[in-house]
Amino acid sequence: MDERIAAMAPLRDALYALDEAGAVGITTELIRRGADPQRVLQEGLTEAMLEIGRRWNAGDVFLPEVVAAAEIFGRCNDIVEPALIAAGGKTLGHKVVMATVKGDLHDLGKNMVGAMMKTAGFDVHDLGKDVPTERIVEAVREMEPTIVGLSSLLTTTVPEQRNVIAALEEAGLRRGVKVMVGGAPVTEEWATEIGADGFAPNAPEAVKVALELAGSERLAGA
Amino acid sequence: MSAEAATARVRPMTGRFRIDLLSDAELERIHETTLTVLERVGLQITSERILIELGAAGADVDPAESRARFPRPMVEEAVSRTPPAYLLAGRDPSWDLHVGTGEGYLTLDGCAAEVVDRETGRRRPPTRRDLIEATRLADAVDEVAALWPCVAVTDVPPHAQAVHQTHIQLANSTKHVIAMSTYSARDARTVVEMARVAAGGDLPLRARPILSSFQCSISPLSYEGDVMEAAVEFARAGLPCGFVAMAIGTATAPTTLAGHLVTLNAELLGGIVTLETLVPGAATYYGPYEAFMDLRSGGIDLAWGPEDVLFKLAAAQLARRYELPMNIIAFGTGAKTQDWQAGAQHAISLAGVALAGEADLISATGTIYGSRVFAFENVVLDAELFDLVRHLLRTVPVAADDLALDVIEAVGPGGHFLAQAHTREHMRELWVPRSFDRGTWEDWEAAGRPEARDRARERVRQILQEHEPEPLEEDVERELRHIVDVHERQAEGAHHG
Repeated sequence: MDERIAAMAPLRDALYALDEAGAVGITTELIRRGADPQRVLQEGLTEAMLEIGRRWNAGDVFLPEVVAAAEIFGRCNDIVEPALIAAGGKTLGHKVVMATVKGDLHDLGKNMVGAMMKTAGFDVHDLGKDVPTERIVEAVREMEPTIVGLSSLLTTTVPEQRNVIAALEEAGLRRGVKVMVGGAPVTEEWATEIGADGFAPNAPEAVKVALELAGSERLAGA
Repeated sequence: MSAEAATARVRPMTGRFRIDLLSDAELERIHETTLTVLERVGLQITSERILIELGAAGADVDPAESRARFPRPMVEEAVSRTPPAYLLAGRDPSWDLHVGTGEGYLTLDGCAAEVVDRETGRRRPPTRRDLIEATRLADAVDEVAALWPCVAVTDVPPHAQAVHQTHIQLANSTKHVIAMSTYSARDARTVVEMARVAAGGDLPLRARPILSSFQCSISPLSYEGDVMEAAVEFARAGLPCGFVAMAIGTATAPTTLAGHLVTLNAELLGGIVTLETLVPGAATYYGPYEAFMDLRSGGIDLAWGPEDVLFKLAAAQLARRYELPMNIIAFGTGAKTQDWQAGAQHAISLAGVALAGEADLISATGTIYGSRVFAFENVVLDAELFDLVRHLLRTVPVAADDLALDVIEAVGPGGHFLAQAHTREHMRELWVPRSFDRGTWEDWEAAGRPEARDRARERVRQILQEHEPEPLEEDVERELRHIVDVHERQAEGAHHG
């Protein structure tokens, strides 16, 4: 394991250095030369994000660095994914589907949560901003994520979070997924009121809550 | 390590802003009135030896009253002899302070009569152990640039207090030591001897004075002879010796701010003239420590107010007029703990000092209750305020890279700046608090609703657990102990005899 992980060191180093061109170049070269895409994803990209998460915990890196690393992770993942699908592989981490709800164009908070989630090994699928409820329901049906995360910044779009939960209920998908909500106006009370499973006031807290929710999911499934 | 090789670790405040409260004409009226006071009223200095020398230098001396009246030219000439800038060296050269260069250095306060016990939270008389811990704490807090003996050590004979304190200061930090409680030439000689031992001899000490001192007037317009003789001892050894006046408006100074400024100015200039007459060119400073009387109780008004800030601004103008480095008190509160009042008073007063545009040594870190009580938590909290104000005194750089046009273009409408290299290159320039609460409400609840002082207490605990100051060399330590013992025994004999 250690030796294999070591083989991906240059890729991880490029992520630590936040060297986008370098990371993309190494990933492209690895895939071109027939490296196992599963390993590139797990031992290269994901392992690097986990390490960046550890550094964040230690106070050695700041959120902008985590976000930058997550963006590079995304670019590299785009290169790995086709090969991964072709090889029939799958990611090991819990899937998380994230979206900024309909009517809301403020996606920065959601992006921060997505970036921090990657540092905990979550397989984050970002649906973007101003996402219609139907698309979220569809994504949950197709991807079967452990968690769906709903973000809104405006007090006028916060009610949409309740609508998404209702739509998941209606589609018969609610029991199979944990719903997390967040955004500046969102409180623990609101989360409880609309029947969400988790809430966090900021991105690092969201990771803790997601880990708890994923843990209980595992227990429930066991 | 040579002085040249040392990288400065000092975090000074630089006087970018300057409020001139008084017009030039108003400042001159205070100056002129001060000269008239020194000429007509003079100072009482209870030392025959010093009065004789002052008389020989042109002062009008009345031995029966122990009074020296100073002709105007004598004052102006002596003040012009003072060096405008000089070195206050650290035992470690990376803590060297360059007084008079526009940098303001944070220091502790002196000889608090009580300390808040770290375990019980109750106040009690301080011991050697408290001064050791407080000095180690100050050694570890980077904002603190120089040390006073911040608590009065009460578990040693009173006549040996100064030497014990100096020993503890020298042994528990590599920062510049400001000696206190040297109430006689004999005390001063012992403290100078200790500094020589720690510095490696007389010449090394003159080249790099790792210790300085100051003396206080007795307001209004008096100096104890012993205290003035001690000042002369320090100056003759090449050690800077400042003057501090702690006049209380309404009680030991006039009630009006202008009158208060005049007497305090007369005390400081009179002390400086005396020192410069006996030791021409001696490094000294101007220490206006104002106070006001509480009109109901007659005690010192502990709750600092706007008068204090105005006084500091005016006093700073006087120090500037005389080209004298200034030692100014920044922290004073009537609060008994680290609460709203303490935070507000310390912040406003420190901001006043910053705007005064002239503050070389900035004191009273770690004090509450009118600087009478030392609280460990306040060292880290006051240091944080100092760091905040220090960062306030910057400007907004507008070089091409600061204007960030390329980055603004690259991100475009609707994007974000988080992942930009420009962000990473500059984000560590932003001020980051240590004790201010920036966590979420949820975190705060989960942690049991802590306040700033709880975080400060925790940091103090951690520092005292982990920080080991650079010790003195063994033979130096042994020699210092010996000097302290001899001083204690001889002084005891002198007292009994």
